[in-house]
Amino acid sequence: MTLLNFFQLLVSGIAMGAIYTLTAKGLFITHLATHRLNFGQGDFLMVGAFASIGMLTAGVPAPLAVLGVLVIMGVLGYLLERFAIRPLDRLGDRAGAYSWVLTTAGSALILQNIVELGFGKSAQYAPPLFSKTRDNVINIFGVGIFFEEAAIIITAFVVVGAFYWFLFGSRWGKAVYAVAFNPEAASLFGIDVRGVVVLVFVLAALMAGISGVLVGPLVSVHPHMGLIFTIKALAVAAVGGFTNPVGILVGGLLFGGAEAFSNYWDSAFGDLYPLLFVMALLAVRPSGLFGERRADVR
Amino acid sequence: MPSLMPRIPRLAVYGLAAAAIAIFPLVAPNPFFVHVGQTFAYTAIAVIGLNILLGLSGQMSLGHGGFYAVGAYVSAILATTYGWPLTVSMAMALAACLVVGLMVGAVALRTRGLYLAMATLAFGFIVEIVAQRWVSVTGGTMGLMGVPQVDFGNFRMGPTYFFWFAAGLLLLVQIASDYVFGSSIGRRLNAVKESVSFAATVGLNVPLWRIGVFAASAALAGLAGVLFAHQSGFVSSDAFNIRLTISLLIATVIGGLGRSAGPLLGTAILIGIAEAIAAVHDIGLMLYGGILLVVLLLFPEGAIGLFGRRRAKSGVAADAVSAFLPALAARGRAAGRLDVEGVTKSYAGVVALRDATLSVEPGTVHALIGPNGAGKSTFINVVAGLYAPTAGRILIGGSDVTQLPAHRRARLGLVRTFQNLQLIQGVSVLENVMLGMERRRGLLADVLDFLGGKGHEARERAEAASILAFLGIGTLADMKPKDLSYGHRKLVELARAIAQKPAILLLDEPVAGVNPQEAREVARIVGKLRDAGISVLLVEHNMEFVMGLADRVTVLDFGNRIACGTPAEVQKDPNVIRAYLGAVEDAA
Repeated sequence: MTLLNFFQLLVSGIAMGAIYTLTAKGLFITHLATHRLNFGQGDFLMVGAFASIGMLTAGVPAPLAVLGVLVIMGVLGYLLERFAIRPLDRLGDRAGAYSWVLTTAGSALILQNIVELGFGKSAQYAPPLFSKTRDNVINIFGVGIFFEEAAIIITAFVVVGAFYWFLFGSRWGKAVYAVAFNPEAASLFGIDVRGVVVLVFVLAALMAGISGVLVGPLVSVHPHMGLIFTIKALAVAAVGGFTNPVGILVGGLLFGGAEAFSNYWDSAFGDLYPLLFVMALLAVRPSGLFGERRADVR
Repeated sequence: MPSLMPRIPRLAVYGLAAAAIAIFPLVAPNPFFVHVGQTFAYTAIAVIGLNILLGLSGQMSLGHGGFYAVGAYVSAILATTYGWPLTVSMAMALAACLVVGLMVGAVALRTRGLYLAMATLAFGFIVEIVAQRWVSVTGGTMGLMGVPQVDFGNFRMGPTYFFWFAAGLLLLVQIASDYVFGSSIGRRLNAVKESVSFAATVGLNVPLWRIGVFAASAALAGLAGVLFAHQSGFVSSDAFNIRLTISLLIATVIGGLGRSAGPLLGTAILIGIAEAIAAVHDIGLMLYGGILLVVLLLFPEGAIGLFGRRRAKSGVAADAVSAFLPALAARGRAAGRLDVEGVTKSYAGVVALRDATLSVEPGTVHALIGPNGAGKSTFINVVAGLYAPTAGRILIGGSDVTQLPAHRRARLGLVRTFQNLQLIQGVSVLENVMLGMERRRGLLADVLDFLGGKGHEARERAEAASILAFLGIGTLADMKPKDLSYGHRKLVELARAIAQKPAILLLDEPVAGVNPQEAREVARIVGKLRDAGISVLLVEHNMEFVMGLADRVTVLDFGNRIACGTPAEVQKDPNVIRAYLGAVEDAA
């Protein structure tokens, strides 16, 4: 492996890692506020990717297409909360403890089928978002990297930054933490708990949608691509212990980087190694690298 | 579905089922029915495993298709590529699934729910990818051909023999499942589902139970996979994608979670759906997803819920119960001594308990009191073994138990109740009490009793009923805890603790939130337990209750022991008065 090779792999890895981080942030914030998350998060990403392909190839200008994707994803996030999450609360203890895993996974199957009917089952490539051709290379310190990847990394970091501002700098972020701590107490303080729950699911869908737009030009897009992104986003969130937003950022970049190199090293099974590593890590450290363990005492 | 017919001895029901299995392939109108029957039999085996995992132990798996695939591949490869005899290849496949199940289940050891769902999802995916890409071994999507079929050397009768084989195995697995649901095993899995600390309190080694039930469930999925491989004689990686796992989950929830007969119903419905969907293949996924949503949101009890739940009958008339006399059983009086020596507990630098020392003499009631935040809850959790102390020792009957986990302390006779009640909401009061009891017979004897129908656990039921009668709530035996008043639920929890035959009873606020008359009743009961030689350590705010009952009182404030003595001494202690009423100097 040459040094040049190394840097190119690193950049590709960071680009994918940034996308995993974005997707995992959506899982993190819903889990924080509701202790539930969308087991179809990767399928939401897939919908985002196809929506952007559809609009871009139809000639919609990129900024408008991104806006369109965000609207679609916001609506999907609301529908998910409204029809796959909220009814479970009404059932109370008649619903199984982990019914939400299956209702969100079931919703994902429906999305896969809809996209399959609309776009066919075969793989597609999204047109590049930021440059005219997909192999537009720029030169940074003597290392040629794809412009598209660099732009994706920058965009992803801007979105992660906005996410942090939302979580730690805005009133809504405080409301999310209040609901996470104790929903009943939060409602006594005048916080609209149901509104916060809807908000976090919409936000999670938006994160998945942005990830989908960004990932489109990097990988081949097909209706059943979602599962692997769900798994990897869950793995990244688990490395951060589901509780530590900074841990998820570090975990995402580590995961993306490790994946790029293990793919280079073993093209047949390379993408499985980081996943196996995370599973082994969870067996040893169930709270991830950064999460805190809490005893279950009532 | 034996559980629907309680009056007929189980053995007769199973005999009828065996006869039906024997006759079915002989009267089936054509081979297609036999084939569907085979598919039903092995699919139901996998679904039964999932039902025990999800419904009883409350653990989620999104990777059972992976275990199914491991079973199918191990047996198919050993038998086809290496020419091993089927019996050996099948046994090896089951062993492989058990081992892999233990490894994946290890993730469930210390966490549950989300992480297990995630780990199993990743596991199923990894198995699928390996099967697809490791073409030299698995044949990939092209598949392994010529896998030997189970036909006992008779090609023409092969499908019939295979049906008998698969359906026979299903019958055995169903019997095992019925036993698990109807015995102490099922109650304990329910406790594990309810809460970790609660299960440890009734003496269960929670990690062992969790990983055990996970591995058993994985092995059942593997058995289904083994049968699948040797049914069709062809194994391709296309058969083992996430849709397989989803199908098994659909069958589990559609049949009805947590009921032993659910999987049979659910599998039958699943196979019906699969046949119907074949015609509208384009929208198959949508239908599967839609079915999952509709069943989970509109019919959470599943199809079996339509039949109504069999009333759990205590079988013991409330007035015909022999009077229960609390007794120290075989533990002996010395076991009732509890010594807490210099225990300190700090959380990240905040000291919740400082150098606390306390001794409970055998057969006495010792009360621990103190203002809010004094460290009482920390103290009781450290003694029970749910928190590890930062320093100090805890001795039961003179032997050091500081290093023992909570469930081992419970087995030594250190039994507790919880400040905020811990009961299994979904099962009857009587069964909640029975949860506290050890199984008296060997496993085999208990299974035989169970098959015989009448009298299974009759002694346990009678004893649980007599404990309830002793507490004055014998009439509540058949009710569910969620339908009871708060005071009654507290008494049920006390009954469960008594059923554990405690040497030392830790009561965490036994009369908080109950009315004065019930409080007097609890005081009377605790007094009787003391007279029977049981030591009691109680944490309580109700001073009338404490002062009227306790032999000795220890007072905590801000994690420090500020007084210890008889109720009269403590009431006069100036430190105690200051702690409760504020400093006199300040007021002056």
